[in-house]
Amino acid sequence: MLQKKICLLGAFSVGKTSLIQRYVNKLFSEKYLTTVGVKIDKKQITVGKTELNLMVWDIAGEDDFTNIRSAHLRGLSGYIVVIDGTRQNSFNVALALHERIKTELGEVAAVFALNKCDLKEQWVINREHIRTLAQLGYPVIETSAKLDQGVEEMFMVLARQLVPKKPEA
Amino acid sequence: MDNFLSSIYRNINLTAFIREQNDQFKPCSAMPDWLIFFLARQSNAGSYNLAEAFPYLSCFMEDAEQHWQAKQSEPLSSGIWIEIDELQHELPLEASVMWLDGQEVLLLQQLGEKYTQDLSRLQQVRNSLLTQEMLESEVQRRTLEIRKREEEIAIKLVSLTSLRDEETGEHVRRIGLYAAVMAKALGWSLEEIDTIRVAAPMHDIGKIGIPDRILCKSGVLNDEEFHVMKKHTEIGASMLRGTKITVLNMAADIALNHHERWDGTGYPSGLVGEKIPVSARITTIVDIYDALVHERVYKKAMSEEDALSLMQEMAGRHLDPHLLRIFLSLLPAMRRIRLEVKENSEKINKEEAVEEVCA
Repeated sequence: MLQKKICLLGAFSVGKTSLIQRYVNKLFSEKYLTTVGVKIDKKQITVGKTELNLMVWDIAGEDDFTNIRSAHLRGLSGYIVVIDGTRQNSFNVALALHERIKTELGEVAAVFALNKCDLKEQWVINREHIRTLAQLGYPVIETSAKLDQGVEEMFMVLARQLVPKKPEA
Repeated sequence: MDNFLSSIYRNINLTAFIREQNDQFKPCSAMPDWLIFFLARQSNAGSYNLAEAFPYLSCFMEDAEQHWQAKQSEPLSSGIWIEIDELQHELPLEASVMWLDGQEVLLLQQLGEKYTQDLSRLQQVRNSLLTQEMLESEVQRRTLEIRKREEEIAIKLVSLTSLRDEETGEHVRRIGLYAAVMAKALGWSLEEIDTIRVAAPMHDIGKIGIPDRILCKSGVLNDEEFHVMKKHTEIGASMLRGTKITVLNMAADIALNHHERWDGTGYPSGLVGEKIPVSARITTIVDIYDALVHERVYKKAMSEEDALSLMQEMAGRHLDPHLLRIFLSLLPAMRRIRLEVKENSEKINKEEAVEEVCA
């Protein structure tokens, strides 16, 4: 079984922990509880014929009080950058984090998650923002941990990038 | 003394380990109950592979190794991570490493109440930050609404003059959009870009003060009539001045100076070069471009090629040559604006228009 370390990154309160809770434990809580430090969850999945053991690192949100340590990125196979569609700031933080990881690790599998699509009427992220993300060349997926929308897909899209492609016969 | 130290370790929930070979760690203080759950699967003669028990430490061991190699006696922290114990409780843990008396030491601490307090403090701070972000976002949304209203009012004001002369509402809207594209290319702030988008359409607002016999005259104006016509710049400026509204101040500058020429032969003041406000120099260029390529009752539309050729001849005399070069580099964007904001009289469909502007 292949073991892969993946990280969820993003500004604080974008829903990283909620997405992981929804994916791993099928749970959701409306209450915002900030994360301090790192929490690692595990999930076994099958991609095609390959079994994967995902080590999902939930890293505390980035802000003036918390910076992501470079050590946390060691051994990273892929990452999901989470954006809260209702908050412009989370978009800016996402781009900065993505840039930082590209600088530190080079090209690594990634997905952008536009979270809280259950609150779409409050979104400030518009088509222009989404186009900017798409132009970076990584999948962009709308998600809602609350409605369990796009969550499984988001992890699967990332996982598919982690499985080595077999050479064509 | 041992009992004394053991009590301290127990009270602060800390366990000290000495590193042995093969990344095995031997506890040198009593192990608390919570730790036994995580190490239970390992029974290697009292030594444990901590990175195996706590996957988080796998990312810390490289830094720890360097710290030990450098024989650093001050502690190096791993950062906090969370484990789930046998009762499904979250345990906040932190490791520190140091070199002590020739030994590679690792301290593992369950942070307990200290973590809860830090968490509570951070939660409060982040809740405040979220509220602040929400308020800022609301202010931005309302500012945008006000901007849109300002723009609508400006267009309505300008449409008063276009009832009397031949300029159309679409023309004035395009002027604002072209000017905004120029401003963006010049690296203006978002606020300044918004301002010129609203202000530039008001450049001819002073025509409201020009008598119909002159404004609507179909033939060439005589000297006296032209003298009156030229007054529209000052009339416009005096209409727009006298407020503290940024957009009206810029609009007044543009209204006053959009007939000034780079070589100083323009009116009303004969300003030369960069003495002419940049907002007015931008508006002059985009106004001429739009007027040339669109049909009016008194003239046919010029092909874009001919219009640009004529404008290039005006560079350095009538127009700011540097700004004109920027304008020319932005032609694809200007063409898109022409396609999107078409004159009502333009009957051609979009495909034909694309062919026209790309020809």
